[in-house]
Amino acid sequence: MKKGEITITITIGIMVLILTTVIFVQFKTIKHTNITLIENMREDELKAEISNFKQKTAEVQNQMQETNLKIKEYEISITTGKEASELLKKELEQQNNILGKNTVKGTGIIVTLTDTRAQKITSKDLRELLNQLKVDGAEAISINGQRIVYDSYVVDLGGTYISVNGERIVSPYEVKAIGNPTYLESGLSKKQYGYIDTKLEEGKDIILERKDEILINAYTGDLNMEYAF
Amino acid sequence: MLLVMGICIQINTIKEATKSVGATLKDNSDLKNELLKRQGEYEAIYKELEEKEKKLEEIRLNASTKSEGDTKNEAEIKSNQILLGLTEISGQGFVIELDENREVSSDEVLNINGYLVHEEDLLYIVNELFNSGADAVSINDQRITNTTAILCDGNIIRINGKMVGVPITIKAIGYPERMEFALTRPGGYLQAMADDGVKVVHWKSESITIPKYEGVYTYEYLTRGDM
Repeated sequence: MKKGEITITITIGIMVLILTTVIFVQFKTIKHTNITLIENMREDELKAEISNFKQKTAEVQNQMQETNLKIKEYEISITTGKEASELLKKELEQQNNILGKNTVKGTGIIVTLTDTRAQKITSKDLRELLNQLKVDGAEAISINGQRIVYDSYVVDLGGTYISVNGERIVSPYEVKAIGNPTYLESGLSKKQYGYIDTKLEEGKDIILERKDEILINAYTGDLNMEYAF
Repeated sequence: MLLVMGICIQINTIKEATKSVGATLKDNSDLKNELLKRQGEYEAIYKELEEKEKKLEEIRLNASTKSEGDTKNEAEIKSNQILLGLTEISGQGFVIELDENREVSSDEVLNINGYLVHEEDLLYIVNELFNSGADAVSINDQRITNTTAILCDGNIIRINGKMVGVPITIKAIGYPERMEFALTRPGGYLQAMADDGVKVVHWKSESITIPKYEGVYTYEYLTRGDM
């Protein structure tokens, strides 16, 4: 009798386990197939998305190589007992270049927007420009010397001034961007619907120059988070 | 019994879902498959990178000597990771949800533009959130970094290269009252969007979690300029 009960218990136990597993696998399958979005995509959108993922994979591969190299360098410094100070400094410098704590230089473009009697430049013009430069891979940007950092903002102040990072700036607005000059230029210069054509159409004064070397100043404020942990 | 029924229902659902997808878009199935493959490839390699970054962090800590300079630099690298958006963070804040209004009366149907959320709306809102002191912002869990672009690509909005669709959830960590005031005052931006027919919901929150930036920074053209 007792033996029978044990067998039944075990059998039921195993069945429950199998069923639960199956259910979880199924839930996971449903969660993973992001099919609704893909289902609604047209051919050109699918192609764009494929090349987008190819590019992102290549970027991650690059980063992986670099990370592997850093790991190796640290490993060597541990086994040889050599100081890791230089490696730490190098990593820190890279981060601070990107964050905006360091002054940086490189190839890029300078876009100058100037108020005219007919058309004033607004903060919206500058926000759109920043966004387009980021679309085209800008690695560092400044407006009239104000470095664009992760929490930067550009707003109109009473219709007279524009404020970047809380600092007042006035026309002419000189926007510097470091990155691939060809990408940056062609991104802004698309015919008809591109940024420059749109602004010219609105009667705004805008000039673009390519530069072999641009210097972008470090952010002058403090970078810190008050409410996040 | 209940379990078995549950499973059967699930199997049927999946079958039907797959069937309808297959039937409606038979012609693009090659592209769809390639996309799924590329997507999987990316996710796998990104996961591998995450593990490598973790390993780097450990070995960096091991390698740094107890000298003052090393300890200071190691600590700054860590706090920089937070500023770069490479860690998940939490805190109090403000949440905005935007959705297309799907209950449009027949005489308004033609004015379709007003019912969509545009790239410029998102740019404006993100800018306004940072203007009111936000520490971190995400849109549909895409972290806004200093290189994040909001790209309008046909009917699709892309952020950090990822497609973003409605409903759109914007989360911001910071001082809730200040952000709420900046965005929801009468005649303010959200009010104008709601008047245009976008469904706008917002609330202050004691606890918001914003995910890390799932991507990499590139610095091919950038070097230090003052050395």
